Amino acid sequence: MLAIFKKELKSYFTSMTGYVFIAFFLIIVGIYYAVYNLMNRVANFEYVLSGVSFIFILLVPILTMRLMAEDRKQKTDQLLFTSPVSIGKIISGKYFAVLTVFLIAMVIICFYPLILLQFGSVPLKTAYGTILGFTLLGAAYISIGLFISSLTESQLVSAVVSFVVILITALMDSLVNFLPADNRTCYIAFFIVVLLICWLLYSMMHNMTVALTAGVIGEAALTVIYVIKPGLYDGLLTKVLGWFSVIARFDTFTSGLLDLSSVVYYISVVFIFLFLTVQAIKKHRWN
Amino acid sequence: MIEVKHLVKKYGEHLAVDDLSFTLEKGQILGFLGPNGAGKSTTMNILTGYISATEGIVTINGHDIFDEPEEAKKCIGYLPELPPLYQDMTVREYLNFVADIKSVKKNEKRKMIDRIMRMTKITDVSERLIKQLSKGYKQRVGLAQAIIGFPEVIILDEPTVGLDPMQIIEIRDLIKELSKDHTIILSSHILSEVSAICDKVMIINKGRLIVSDTPDNLSKHIGGSQGLHLEVKGEQADIKKALESIPEITKLEFEKSSKGGIVKLSAYSAEESDIREAVFYALSDAKCPIYDMHSTKMSLEDIFLELTQEKENVHVSKNSNRLFRRSKQKNEEELAALGEEINNQESEHKEEN
Repeated sequence: MLAIFKKELKSYFTSMTGYVFIAFFLIIVGIYYAVYNLMNRVANFEYVLSGVSFIFILLVPILTMRLMAEDRKQKTDQLLFTSPVSIGKIISGKYFAVLTVFLIAMVIICFYPLILLQFGSVPLKTAYGTILGFTLLGAAYISIGLFISSLTESQLVSAVVSFVVILITALMDSLVNFLPADNRTCYIAFFIVVLLICWLLYSMMHNMTVALTAGVIGEAALTVIYVIKPGLYDGLLTKVLGWFSVIARFDTFTSGLLDLSSVVYYISVVFIFLFLTVQAIKKHRWN
Repeated sequence: MIEVKHLVKKYGEHLAVDDLSFTLEKGQILGFLGPNGAGKSTTMNILTGYISATEGIVTINGHDIFDEPEEAKKCIGYLPELPPLYQDMTVREYLNFVADIKSVKKNEKRKMIDRIMRMTKITDVSERLIKQLSKGYKQRVGLAQAIIGFPEVIILDEPTVGLDPMQIIEIRDLIKELSKDHTIILSSHILSEVSAICDKVMIINKGRLIVSDTPDNLSKHIGGSQGLHLEVKGEQADIKKALESIPEITKLEFEKSSKGGIVKLSAYSAEESDIREAVFYALSDAKCPIYDMHSTKMSLEDIFLELTQEKENVHVSKNSNRLFRRSKQKNEEELAALGEEINNQESEHKEEN
């Protein structure tokens, strides 16, 4: 794992990617910092990070697009996956390498509130809490990018899909407000979702019985709950989609709260997507 | 050492590998032979754990590649069809990385890499970026990568592709040298290569094992009979009469093109009997001088071509394909039939000329 970590990290700095990422990141954060904090003379660094969180939509795809896609294209994955290193270790080695590039930028950003301290009192706890939240947000997005990169051998496809997915998660908060919240529409929506899952199951396993059984049980359960307690469905769609709004959790940090559930949420996202990446690679080997 | 049982790999409906079984002992070199798309690379990818099989068992050194992948992979060095090289690294960096992921001990690493670079003759490019190397050098770096850690099993997919004749000989010698304490599987469509270095040859076509034997036995047995090519001066009728008096001869074939009173013909006999002396005396009694006489033992190349092409003719319909697959015995029977067919075809071919 260490060997893969070192190799990946080095490749970020032998190619341009690592430098470009850090430079862009620091420039954009720097502009917001100059405008918000220095020119408007506000002491709250968290405003900068909350304003700048769109940055991930642009920069994470650049950082993660080549991670797995390039290996598959160059066939170097044959070396990795036939070496006595488990897939999980290979994936975590790669993940920690990208994370390190991101952390290098974050370490530099840690000095910004200290600069403000020269001019007066700064709410340092909120500032560093927000930096922590920002780092976790980035870590979660990087894991999503890594997962998408493992699905394709084209860096371009990987970058575009990552861009769209991260954009959707960022807009999710405002999108869900347009969704209907009454229990009937929610029931119908979930009915369709279960159907889709069954179709996915079938296309992956080519096993009619498994897909049908899962479908019938799922739909039956949904209907029973709807008949017995329709109140459960009220606003459920908004709630469920809210879970996917990765960026919403970041707001708790910027408002000065260190919410444990948000920390756990981000760490779970990282684990889930690393797990999915390993599964995607295993699946690819089966086909 | 290596045990493969009933290996099947399906891509959707397409059968890439179909019920392949073999075992390999330590120190042997096994050659996979087959036309493009025969399933050689797929088989190797399964053996090394890169892709998984639909059915079947692969054990390397007692470790199942699916159940204990890490233990099994420790025993394998693999050079895939396309050498898995990181283009932006220097050769030494790359080999260092490979040594690291194969967990070679730190204190042995430098020594081992230097030794392997000498073996594969890439020492003088060790500080160059891989993307700047020629195809031959890239291939050798790929080979060096497979040897790192000196695993017990080395699997090479077309190791001599892109090398010049001189380098091919060097690599062959290297493979032979390695086979002293490694088990080696290599694939090739260059037949002379396989017959030159392998202890055992497996000819596969369309995922199925067609025949598996030593190169020598293959060329001996496949034809089913031994042939003798003759160029004799004299009348065809006389020669025919003289040769028919020899009981061991099973078949005579005359070629149509005879120039300057020289008749070209082939005489076939049962496998073991040597008819050369009898032929000499018979013809000299008939006053027909022999200009040329040599045995027409089929080369591996002929066998390969015949077997892989014949298959297509024999199994026109899919049904017969299935039937063929079912029993091994039938397989052998059909092989014998094939041998005859080859002979028949040859004669037809000659008449056409």
